[in-house]
Amino acid sequence: MILPAVAVLAGTVLACFLAILPGLHIYNVMGLVAMLLYALNGGGVASMPEVTIPFLIGLVTGWSVLNTIPSVLLGAPDESAIFTVLPGQKYLMSGRGYEGVMMIGAGSLVGVFMLVFIIGPLAPKFLPVLRCVLNPHLHWILWVIITFILITEWPKGGNWGPAGWRKFFDAWSTLGAGLLTFMLSGLLGFLLLYRSPVSVENAFQNIMPAFVGLFAIPWCLLNAVSGAEVPKQIVREDLNINGDLLLRSGIAGGIGGGFAAFFPVVTGGVGGLLAGHATAQRDERIFMMSQGVSKTVYYTGALMLFFVPGLYLTRGGGAWIIRGLYTPRTCDFYLALGSIALSGAVSFLLLSPLTKWTLKLMKKVDYRWISVFALAIIVALVFSITRWTGLFVMIVATGIGLLPVLFGSRRLNCLGMLLLPIACNMSGIGEPVAAFLGLL
Amino acid sequence: MKGIAHFISGVAVASFCPWAVEAAQNGNAVYFVLGAVAGILPDTIDFKFYRFFYPHDVRVEPCSEQLDPQPIADQVAAAISAAAEGTPITLKLSTIKLSADNWRQYRVGIDPGEGEVRVQFGPVVSTGQVPQPDSLPADRPVGVSKFSATVKQGYEPVCTVDIFDGPSFLFKRNEVGEVETDFLPWHRNWSHSLVIGALLAGLASLVTWKAGAVIFGAYVIHIIEDQLGHMGSNLFFPVTKKRAPGLKWMHSGDALPNFTTVWLCCLFIFWNIYAAIENPVYHLGFIRFMMIAMVIPFAIFGLLRWLLIRADGGEPETLSTSWDV
Repeated sequence: MILPAVAVLAGTVLACFLAILPGLHIYNVMGLVAMLLYALNGGGVASMPEVTIPFLIGLVTGWSVLNTIPSVLLGAPDESAIFTVLPGQKYLMSGRGYEGVMMIGAGSLVGVFMLVFIIGPLAPKFLPVLRCVLNPHLHWILWVIITFILITEWPKGGNWGPAGWRKFFDAWSTLGAGLLTFMLSGLLGFLLLYRSPVSVENAFQNIMPAFVGLFAIPWCLLNAVSGAEVPKQIVREDLNINGDLLLRSGIAGGIGGGFAAFFPVVTGGVGGLLAGHATAQRDERIFMMSQGVSKTVYYTGALMLFFVPGLYLTRGGGAWIIRGLYTPRTCDFYLALGSIALSGAVSFLLLSPLTKWTLKLMKKVDYRWISVFALAIIVALVFSITRWTGLFVMIVATGIGLLPVLFGSRRLNCLGMLLLPIACNMSGIGEPVAAFLGLL
Repeated sequence: MKGIAHFISGVAVASFCPWAVEAAQNGNAVYFVLGAVAGILPDTIDFKFYRFFYPHDVRVEPCSEQLDPQPIADQVAAAISAAAEGTPITLKLSTIKLSADNWRQYRVGIDPGEGEVRVQFGPVVSTGQVPQPDSLPADRPVGVSKFSATVKQGYEPVCTVDIFDGPSFLFKRNEVGEVETDFLPWHRNWSHSLVIGALLAGLASLVTWKAGAVIFGAYVIHIIEDQLGHMGSNLFFPVTKKRAPGLKWMHSGDALPNFTTVWLCCLFIFWNIYAAIENPVYHLGFIRFMMIAMVIPFAIFGLLRWLLIRADGGEPETLSTSWDV
């Protein structure tokens, strides 16, 4: 009883440090932990599931709650780019970064509550039915999601001036950039899947350099060159939210995060997009809290599904990593739920002091330097695992990841790297496409 | 309705076609994707293509530095008066962009009873149309301009202009001499015609009638859903020239009808693919399924929301701005 609790707390505390670094993904860290555990097992030291499982759950839950801090406070955008970022960053630029973080954190707490008290208890009864019926249909669901991502991007230009081609092209510059981003990242995905330049020994971290390049590096670069000055931040304890707003955020984020956790390849961002559209909520507070709910339900929920009796579904990088180490038993489900509850509560309690500490740090150190520091760590991590080849993949991916930043289209289009090759594979056309591309 | 509701409705229509489900079971996603695309296509045509080519005779482009409502009122009133003379006029009210995420809101009211146009500037709003605190201009005169015409309102009497592309109007004299105001004349016009839907379905049927059936069904469901709102659609273009008024049961952006539609469609899709399983491992009844998946969760949500709102003082928070022309 004591040992798992200590392990959860250790995972959560480690997640605190990891979450502060912008761009560092918890799955990369879990991958390193897994490699360490494999090495220990190889050396004859057996890892105890009642320690490793709560520790890894603590890592994921803690990170999913606390990574709100860099996403709001360390992503100060230029005026020209503010439209492409979350409302959380608008809070930062109006001096209300603390309020923004805590609002998303409140959403995360709702997400933890939903996982432990609603989704968890209902999952063993309903999710096996859902999986049984939907399994043969996952491929078209993925194609429909891809269609939705591509077809619903809104043209941001073309709002003024006389009618005609000029107006049309102005509007379509963002849409075209979005389509191009999706296609290029899809091609990169095919390349990595069928002829990965990353060595076989590091196949575990095969897509890590590309993911870092597509999402983390453009963010750090954008911050590093940003001309924006972060205004003085005011710490306000009153969040101006109520039960109704929390309930509506919980529904929106729970559906989005749950959808993403259950369906393969669908990420939290895609789930959030779908839920945001489906629930048609205009209030920025609901949007922000629902993103908190969504990411917690997505990351932690995907891991939880691995332990659901009768389901044992492997979704998300965390579950795949644990799967290589261990086969779950029914009793582990309750251990997992308890670990999620403990880690979620502790993480939320840590959120406020950590946010205040980060704000103090930002007063002393320019956020641009923090981004440069984070960039150095990420690049070092990529290099240490995948060497020069990984760095090259990362640079190529960064080029693609910068497209949406420069043209103001959705960054979600970068997910073409996963969505396109996997949808093709699930429909049975992956190999012909790869052959057409000369990859076979 | 919002795009996702139309989109998923198209997918739901495809799920009602046995050949689509059978093809999907064999790895062919094409009917479901066709349903999804056809479901959202009428709006895609309007918002991503047609509106950029729709010409406007008058473009009202207010200045962000000088918030003077009078020139706007004058231009709108002049357009109505010119239409009364017999010349159809298309007029565009441009938005006022202040920065990447801030827009100055203004409202234009056409009052047929008083024979005047009233215009007033409002708060700064975000792209989510949320008003920024303390952003109403200190001095907010109402610009008033008279027109000499009998006006028949085609949509709502007050129009709010704020984000992205501003609204446009077609002012046109009808056979009894009234000036009809046609809101967003480029939207829900020819693209929202059942005839066009049939035409597209016919084209697809050259490949296979099954694709044609899915496309027609998805297109029709889009038009039916839109007909539940205020604006309506030009149902039989090119036979009909005007939009048939909607049933006014909802606004297109309302959260509850949109979410209910999306959820209901998801349940229909699930049920249809479940029903296509020859020897299902789990046995479900339709009524029980709908109770568990829709009625009970919605009832719990409604009850919880009622309790939470009651605990918070009895009124749900709204984002509407407390000003009007």
